[in-house]
Amino acid sequence: MERVLDPARIEAFAERAIARIRLPDRRQAFSRRAARLRQLSASERAGEGGAIGDYLRLMAVLADAQQSALGSFTAARPNAEALRLASTHGMPPAHAAGLTREPSWRGILGELCSSVLESGELPAAVRETCERLRGASAAPLEAQADALLGGRVVELDPAAAPFLMGALQVYWLGLATQFTPKEIKPLEVHGVCPVCGTLPVASVVRVDKGSCGNRYLHCALCATEWHMVRITCSCCQETKDLTYHSIEGGSPAVRAESCGSCRGYRKILYQEKDPGVEPVADDLASLALDVLMGMEGYHRLSGNPLLWLELAAH
Amino acid sequence: MTEITRRQFLTVSAASLAGSSLALLGFSPTTALAEVREFKLARATETRNTCPYCAVACGVIMYSWGDRAQNATSSIFHIEGDPDHPVNRGTLCPKGAGLIDFIHSPDRLHYPQYRAPGSDRWGRISWDDALGRLAKLMKADRDANFVTRTPDGLTVNRWLTTGMLAASASSSEVGYLTHKVIRSLGILSFDNQARV
Repeated sequence: MERVLDPARIEAFAERAIARIRLPDRRQAFSRRAARLRQLSASERAGEGGAIGDYLRLMAVLADAQQSALGSFTAARPNAEALRLASTHGMPPAHAAGLTREPSWRGILGELCSSVLESGELPAAVRETCERLRGASAAPLEAQADALLGGRVVELDPAAAPFLMGALQVYWLGLATQFTPKEIKPLEVHGVCPVCGTLPVASVVRVDKGSCGNRYLHCALCATEWHMVRITCSCCQETKDLTYHSIEGGSPAVRAESCGSCRGYRKILYQEKDPGVEPVADDLASLALDVLMGMEGYHRLSGNPLLWLELAAH
Repeated sequence: MTEITRRQFLTVSAASLAGSSLALLGFSPTTALAEVREFKLARATETRNTCPYCAVACGVIMYSWGDRAQNATSSIFHIEGDPDHPVNRGTLCPKGAGLIDFIHSPDRLHYPQYRAPGSDRWGRISWDDALGRLAKLMKADRDANFVTRTPDGLTVNRWLTTGMLAASASSSEVGYLTHKVIRSLGILSFDNQARV
């Protein structure tokens, strides 16, 4: 027996399909992050960020500055030939390490530094770093940006990195929002952003319009989210030996999804438990969970764009 | 981020925080590090499974405390539909939504029980006894009632006096094996809960 579905039914099925790509909302991507950082900085719950409240408030100032710098900024889309090439070879269309950046990102960096400097009382080191970045010439800034986007962490200045990353985030978010979700193809490699090829900062189980309990990885650079099946290691794709660690008495919305196979972990946030979760902010604020996971012998699968660590060689 | 993964592991510790953005920008990680000593890690697992009730075979996720490695007292505390499952996309019917009570039901069978003919009570027996008894009764019935040929001489090799109803939450492989075992015995009355 053969049965042909009529087009209306096929369309109805398609609407039920899981959204594979969620592009960032440029009207509020950074302002929501800023609000969440401020909220967490004042939290008194175990391990939720109160202990590094001052740093979270500085990052909130940066995120607000990012939102106003984003304003009407748009980076130029890669040309048709570049897009075709990326598509043919299964590469992300706006690859962070491969795309030629326009100099405009340095203008954004200047704006961010000025906004932070005007925000009031600051530790001397913040003032000095922002002034230094604002006065820096093109060549060293481009070299630092290349190191950041290419993952050459050893060449980085951890004090300047959050501000540089802040400017690059504005640039790439401006770039990502010029695509439509249909233009972005899921990559064969699940662990990197399908827009810019960057590693995710954390994953989030969404319970809003279009996603009821699906898990998305959140790009540390352009804030694009892409679907990944739950209970799967976001690094090695192992499904057998995963454990979800949380702090007793802490937020039920933040857990570390750890893999017994690769011994890595990445945090997973549950919007059902706290509708306000924001991947970059919640990951940064839950620093205590990172320390505990380190003591358990697990390593982070990727860093937070707003906190760069000194790497001790093993 | 090749250089991190190849040469060193990214761990957050007193040492790595000492040279981090946070410390270099003039903030202190001391309070955060001191606070951590008071905290305890809780471990939970999420496990995929299939709802055992009906033919739809909805995917479920079972949440439990404890990890499998140190699993002496792992207990399931929540079950919900698997949002990634193509059949139910995270939804469950009222029966499936009540699975947690099925698991923790005080009336749930934990071991084989036997009620002798004429007796009014059930008694606990071992798995070996239960399987041995089943096999013996099946063999006796098969020996007594196996039909090799019909009265008009047609070879049939069938066993009509015993039937089998298989479970719905089986994988294709389990279904294949069940089919092979039952059919090789000659049983014709064979159905699956997944068809109901």
